[in-house]
Amino acid sequence: MYEHILVPTDGSDAAEYAVEQAVDLASKYGATVHALYVVDVDATSYSLGTEQVDRIRQGHLDDMPEVKEAADAATGYVADAAAEHGLAVREHVVPGEPARAIRKFVEDNDIDLVVMGSHGRSGLSRVVLGSVTERVLRRTRLPVLVVDVHEKDAEPDAEADA
Amino acid sequence: MTPSVFLQSGDLLPEALNISFKLVPAIMVVGMLTLFLAIGYVFKVADTEGMWVAGRSIGNIENGMAIGANWMSAASYLGLAGLVALSGFYGLAFIIGWTAGYFVLLIFLAAQMRRFGKYTAPDFVGDRFNSDTARAIGALTTILIGFVYSVGQARGMGLVGLYVFGTDYVTMVIVMMAITVGYLTISGMMGATKNMAVQYVILIIAFLTAVYVVGFTGGYSTVLPHIEYGQLIGELSTEFSEPFVNAGFYLWIATAFSLIFGTCGLPHVLVRFYTVENEKTARQSTVWGLFFILLLYWSAPALAAFGVDLYDASQYGPTFAANGGMSGGEGDLIVVLAAQLSNLPTWFVGLVAAGGIAAAIATTAGLFITASSAVSHDIYTNIINPDATQRQQVFVGRATIVALGIIVTVTAFDPPALVGELVALAFSLAAIVLFPMFFLGLWWENTNRQGALAGMSVGLALWVAAVVNDLIFHFSDLFAEFVPAIGAALVGTPLVFVVTIAVSMATDEPPERIKKMVRQCHSPEPMGQQQSAEDVVMSADGGQSPADD
Repeated sequence: MYEHILVPTDGSDAAEYAVEQAVDLASKYGATVHALYVVDVDATSYSLGTEQVDRIRQGHLDDMPEVKEAADAATGYVADAAAEHGLAVREHVVPGEPARAIRKFVEDNDIDLVVMGSHGRSGLSRVVLGSVTERVLRRTRLPVLVVDVHEKDAEPDAEADA
Repeated sequence: MTPSVFLQSGDLLPEALNISFKLVPAIMVVGMLTLFLAIGYVFKVADTEGMWVAGRSIGNIENGMAIGANWMSAASYLGLAGLVALSGFYGLAFIIGWTAGYFVLLIFLAAQMRRFGKYTAPDFVGDRFNSDTARAIGALTTILIGFVYSVGQARGMGLVGLYVFGTDYVTMVIVMMAITVGYLTISGMMGATKNMAVQYVILIIAFLTAVYVVGFTGGYSTVLPHIEYGQLIGELSTEFSEPFVNAGFYLWIATAFSLIFGTCGLPHVLVRFYTVENEKTARQSTVWGLFFILLLYWSAPALAAFGVDLYDASQYGPTFAANGGMSGGEGDLIVVLAAQLSNLPTWFVGLVAAGGIAAAIATTAGLFITASSAVSHDIYTNIINPDATQRQQVFVGRATIVALGIIVTVTAFDPPALVGELVALAFSLAAIVLFPMFFLGLWWENTNRQGALAGMSVGLALWVAAVVNDLIFHFSDLFAEFVPAIGAALVGTPLVFVVTIAVSMATDEPPERIKKMVRQCHSPEPMGQQQSAEDVVMSADGGQSPADD
């Protein structure tokens, strides 16, 4: 039923909580797991400066070791979890605005299920940051499995070292 | 010592300015702001849709324009002519200071910085001296520079806004700053190279047109107002043309010194060099940047002279009257006033005003983004929360911009000095605290953590003391005489050099890895296109040692 399952991740706990479910589904269907990290151009602009966005725009992501490291760590977490189950896994890093980049990736890569975590933000932080998950839900016609981080509150950090 | 140079808030407002709502200039300003937003938006979409061309690099000229726009703020566009108009010969210290610094930058820092290859100025300080405390002091200084510098921009925008939209000064400061902060928090892309290039084109066209048209209609000049204004000098009062009348020789030298070395220590100027293709591009962009800056700086004294003459002839003159005369607010607006007093049509004066707003917005964008990266990248991600996600960085960055925007706006309601002087305070801070760290960090491999920390602390303390003494609470005449806030670097920079070198020599040498990184910044071997010193040191890994120069 599912051949390509996408797990977008930003390396946060919320994203990582979704990995377990994604891997479980993938092993059930023998699907390929795609781990996607989006280098957020907004974050680059505010934290490293707009000049660095120019650098990304020129395709010199390799020139930014710290950014690459964070991306590799995030997708590596997914890859390790999938590898433990003997699943085929592909890691991807693309720059862009997260929700749009995820949608574009889905369209270009024949993805048929998206599994992602959500912080369940509310109040001010939701107004300021919005929810990437919410925007992905609204913009794709695919099935999206949302794993809310708060359901796991009972056992915080249980999976952190997995 | 120079009370005439520092104005009181009483003469903040430009009496001679025609303050009212003007439809055509208002449309021009709104149109210009919409253009910036549109460019920012198009770029954002291009980024998010991955529409950029891989491998395309930013050319020298475009990068030079970005350097020019980032650099030329309300202080250059309005303040420079204002300072020359109000204090004559003393104002020239600003023209020399704000351009000569680029030579030091070109020879000693631009290419070497590119080779070191970091993201932000505090990054350099933190990594070179291997210390989070040094990084934190660097970040704090960066924020402080952004703050002082932006107060000058807010004042400039508020004054120009008065001409275009009328109402009152405080309202205009709030509206203009709200627009700028709103832009930055929504798109963040206002500081993108393309937008900077457009902002440069607008401001330089506006300024040059003003000089030529005012010069021509006033009968002052024809084809080369930059030289022809010399004929006026004899006719203008001695306060304008006689050297060292408004400010003494020492203050002149101290101011120029501060500005020259401040230029080399300004974080928002240096970040441009981190991202250029290679060190050759770094050098060439510097030269182009300086050329684009000179176009305006050559013209400013001419416009100031025309402005003073027009003001003398107007009902408000003479400029240097014992009672009244040109106020600080009028000086800061001399560029707009000169056009208005020439009886030029309002749409033309509106163009000149729009150029001032473009200059202020371009620089504020650069400063605020630099401040937001100092908080979000250097303090938050590197020191407080190393596991920060990108979303958290965005949140912290935006919060910084909003908070800084509010503080700047409130301070600009009643700023303690002229636009050009406020900005000069930021320069003396950069010259005292950051320049010695960059220079010694890049050129003397034995500079170590203890030396850097001692030097920066002494520098920061000296600058704060000078500012408090001059602007907030006067405690010593002698201190004010030799360490004026605006020229504090003449004493401060050598002092910080001495402290840093002495402490470095008295303590252990820095680790070999750091020394190699420093040597790599000067290697005669050209580096690969996108290599940084750290990469080279990593890959050499104890093999052949990088060449020394």
